[in-house]
Amino acid sequence: MSEQKTETAGAGETGERVRALLAAAGLPASEAEIRRFAAAYPGYRAAADALYAVPEARYADPALRFRAEARITDWA
Amino acid sequence: MTQAPEAAPASAGAAGAALPRTLTEAAAALRAGRVTSRGLTEAAIAVADRLDPALGTYLARLDEQALAAADAADRDFAAGVDRGPLQGIPFGVKDILATADAPTTAQSLVLDPAWAAGRDAPVVARLRAAGAVITGKVSTMEFAVGMPDPEKPFPIPRNPWDPETWPGGSSSGTGSGVASGMFLAGLGTDTGGSIRIPAAFCGVTGLMPTFGRVPKSGCAPLGYSLDHIGPLARSARDCAAVLEVIAGPHPSDPDCVDAPFRSGEWSGDLTGLRVGVVREHHFPAEADPALEPAVDAAVDALRGLGAETAEVTLPYWDEMCTADIVTMACEALAYHQPDATSRWGDYFASTRAILAIGALMSGADYVQAQRMRRVAQDAIARLFDRVDVVVCPTVSRPAPRLEPYLREGAEVMELFSFIHTGYWDCLGNPVLAAPIGFTAEGLPLSLQFAGRAFEEMTLLRAADAFQQATDWHLRVPPLAAGAAA
Repeated sequence: MSEQKTETAGAGETGERVRALLAAAGLPASEAEIRRFAAAYPGYRAAADALYAVPEARYADPALRFRAEARITDWA
Repeated sequence: MTQAPEAAPASAGAAGAALPRTLTEAAAALRAGRVTSRGLTEAAIAVADRLDPALGTYLARLDEQALAAADAADRDFAAGVDRGPLQGIPFGVKDILATADAPTTAQSLVLDPAWAAGRDAPVVARLRAAGAVITGKVSTMEFAVGMPDPEKPFPIPRNPWDPETWPGGSSSGTGSGVASGMFLAGLGTDTGGSIRIPAAFCGVTGLMPTFGRVPKSGCAPLGYSLDHIGPLARSARDCAAVLEVIAGPHPSDPDCVDAPFRSGEWSGDLTGLRVGVVREHHFPAEADPALEPAVDAAVDALRGLGAETAEVTLPYWDEMCTADIVTMACEALAYHQPDATSRWGDYFASTRAILAIGALMSGADYVQAQRMRRVAQDAIARLFDRVDVVVCPTVSRPAPRLEPYLREGAEVMELFSFIHTGYWDCLGNPVLAAPIGFTAEGLPLSLQFAGRAFEEMTLLRAADAFQQATDWHLRVPPLAAGAAA
């Protein structure tokens, strides 16, 4: 990722979205980090969006289970 | 493979006795009276004295406690008390696992020391009960993710095959410690490949057990639904001996099922075993030129041992690589959120990058990743109806040079384009990484053996047969061979 491209990524709509999402999560990223994360964000977003495009997953149950009888037990 | 090192002879111990290379050989030698646990432990300490300053393997050495545990093991042997193959064996523990007799840091400024103070994780308690000699807490990437950060006050882990290269992570110290002879086996954890990557880069064997086989409580979490605790050692047989001790349910881990592990027979005969060979995605143009011949030779060796081989493809490859990152990042952010908002700068740069991904994903993205995991689990189970074991390269390139990744703003995620491990964490199947040769530069190459859930013995038997027929797993870095001789 070139510095020029990274600079561009930190500005504009993608950069503002990344800045807003990090702020909403309370993560005090630096401007340099925001630029780097913004440069990578379109790739991550596209990969995550692709998970919704798999027909076999349309009616799949997630690999999550809630157990009503569960209790917290200390480990030591 | 022009510079592949020879299998070094057994090294001289502190008392001048020949020391075994593998845990399994050491266990036999202890019982035959050829070595003592004190002798093994003193030799391991001597190697650490010589090499640890250069390799950054240990975060905390426990020499005195280890020698006391070794003496206790020797007294037990003398009294006829046999706690199993780990009794008297020098053993490293990744510093993300709680130990009662040493600080647990997760190699981080952030982890509250009170969390683990004075307490053993269930797997550590099981090691102690089995008589293992814990020599110290070994290096990890911060909270088992990312890369070293030279700005932080921790050693930079280095690879004994070439200290200018990375030993892999996050179980860096466990890999470098086994490869260099600082201990005969150790514990690592694997959320996206953190057992198998250092096993591959350090030329040793690493086993990620089935998710739910080993209790993961007492381990600082990275991804709750992805974390696996497992062994790194010289051989598949060594890994089986460790798994036998650490597997089994514990009430503190709701994911851990009642499925203790017992080793079976080591026949070396693979007649009838159906092996699926994966090539898609694993041989990119940038792959090391030695990789494909090494994999071909390994597959030929399996065939020569009686296995039937056929090329297969892994279903939902891209989706599982994405699901691993999404799941890990979101689960990690949930754990770290209070500290990340108040102590952001105390985290390693690459840890911050992973946590940021968690913030960039939505709750729906997380759930969708879990739906895809279910779909892929079903598909991989159907693949394992057709084959008993799947083999594929662990990495496409050898250990990378460290220096570029220590620069500010280094793009760490590009590493994962040639690391092929995260797919399996999402599925939960057991996978073993074993050495299969060397690059022209003398750096190790590695093959993964994957199997059906809770059928570790099938892939362990396949890897053991391969290791009976080859000696890649016994090769010792020249640096360590010189130090031990």
